[in-house]
Amino acid sequence: MKRLFSLLTAAALLLSFCACARGETKYTDYSFDYFDTVTTIVGYADSKEEFDGVVSELKALLLEYHRLYDIYHRYEGINNLCTVNDLTDGVHQTVQVDQKILDLLSYAKELYTVTEGKMNVAMGSVLSIWHQYRTNGISHPEEAALPPMEQLREAANHTDIGQMILDETDSTVFLADPAMRLDVGAIAKGYATEQVALYLEEKGITGYLLNVGGNVRCVGAHPDGEPWSVGIENPDTENTEKPHIAYLHLTGQSLVTSGSYQRFYTVEGVRYHHIIDPETLMPGTNFLSVSVLCADSGRADALSTALFTMTYEEGAALIESLADAEAMWVLPDGEQRYSGGFQNYTYQ
Amino acid sequence: MRKRLRNDILLIGGVLLIAAAFALIFFLTRKEGAYAAVMKNGTEIARYALSAEGEYPITDGETVTNLLVIRGGKAEIAEATCPDQICVNHRAVSKAGETIVCLPQEVVIKIVAETKNAPDMVV
Repeated sequence: MKRLFSLLTAAALLLSFCACARGETKYTDYSFDYFDTVTTIVGYADSKEEFDGVVSELKALLLEYHRLYDIYHRYEGINNLCTVNDLTDGVHQTVQVDQKILDLLSYAKELYTVTEGKMNVAMGSVLSIWHQYRTNGISHPEEAALPPMEQLREAANHTDIGQMILDETDSTVFLADPAMRLDVGAIAKGYATEQVALYLEEKGITGYLLNVGGNVRCVGAHPDGEPWSVGIENPDTENTEKPHIAYLHLTGQSLVTSGSYQRFYTVEGVRYHHIIDPETLMPGTNFLSVSVLCADSGRADALSTALFTMTYEEGAALIESLADAEAMWVLPDGEQRYSGGFQNYTYQ
Repeated sequence: MRKRLRNDILLIGGVLLIAAAFALIFFLTRKEGAYAAVMKNGTEIARYALSAEGEYPITDGETVTNLLVIRGGKAEIAEATCPDQICVNHRAVSKAGETIVCLPQEVVIKIVAETKNAPDMVV
């Protein structure tokens, strides 16, 4: 009897060694083809072939969303948001668009209301000026300059989202103010990430982690049921001792960080980043970064942008009023503040 | 009774010996320490141990686009031809899961290490 027990123990011990070789393997894929950023897909699969198969389906979807939501380039045979902006440039024009564009824009209208106008896809006229000055300032640092305030103020007269008319029956977009331009940079990546994640969930695929340029969306958990570990980058990019300022355990949720360190240019020694406050028309200076945790990645994307240009008090009030959202703010001196339930997800 | 005890000891000894053999194989075949993996256009093109100090040019096939430097157990991009220089300004990386991304050159430097504490993703 004792012997049998010993044998069983020995067998169990040996099996536990073999267990590491068995089970699903973790794969990672990097690509640069969508939303002008890096997309990372982590997933567990039985083989590289199986993983590659899933990844190529995800990439086909991401490419479709990227082309439809691109405001800088047009593509043969499709009307995308760049087409809408180009055709509306100074003239009244109704543009036939894909249902996926209407879905994004109507979702953006909803988030405009939720964020009290801080996330506004009708701000393209203002953002395009900043984009032009930033791009030029990065390529030619010696010429780097700030956009003239009168030019920004003039552009800000054409940012009323009420002038964006969506017609679901005829599948059209009409910008009633022809000087208005759409810029979906604060929501499109997150929205597309969410749609791609939903596609996986509908197919019953779990064990994937998507990151489209800072929009992280978990699809399920690790195969053993353990949650994903997601770190938040230290906005102090010089600090090599502490690269991450928080770690979270997540299953199925989205985490999005908006940071002033991500995209910026320098004018006379001062950094000007890409998140523009719709009221001051200047980059927000209240925080180094804001991270938002909630179920829907599009919502997390829009909220993180909106919170970035609100005060801490306004943002905290907004987050506490929403049932499913949590946030972490990093103040200019590095202090970290949290919404009520954020630290339920963090670990050391 | 004595015989059974002896057999048990033999069995336990045997199990431990097999376990030790497995552990030995595991440690011998495992990669030494942490390394920096270099990804270009999504494909891993090189990996360098963080213990291997030196300068490692990353090319696009013709010209050097980024210069990876490993020094003091950390990896950093010392020079790059991209206009934004975000990869050059990025802190040196050494901890598992840390990355440096150069969007214009489509280069990712990723620290890979055998540790249980590495996050799956950083945002």
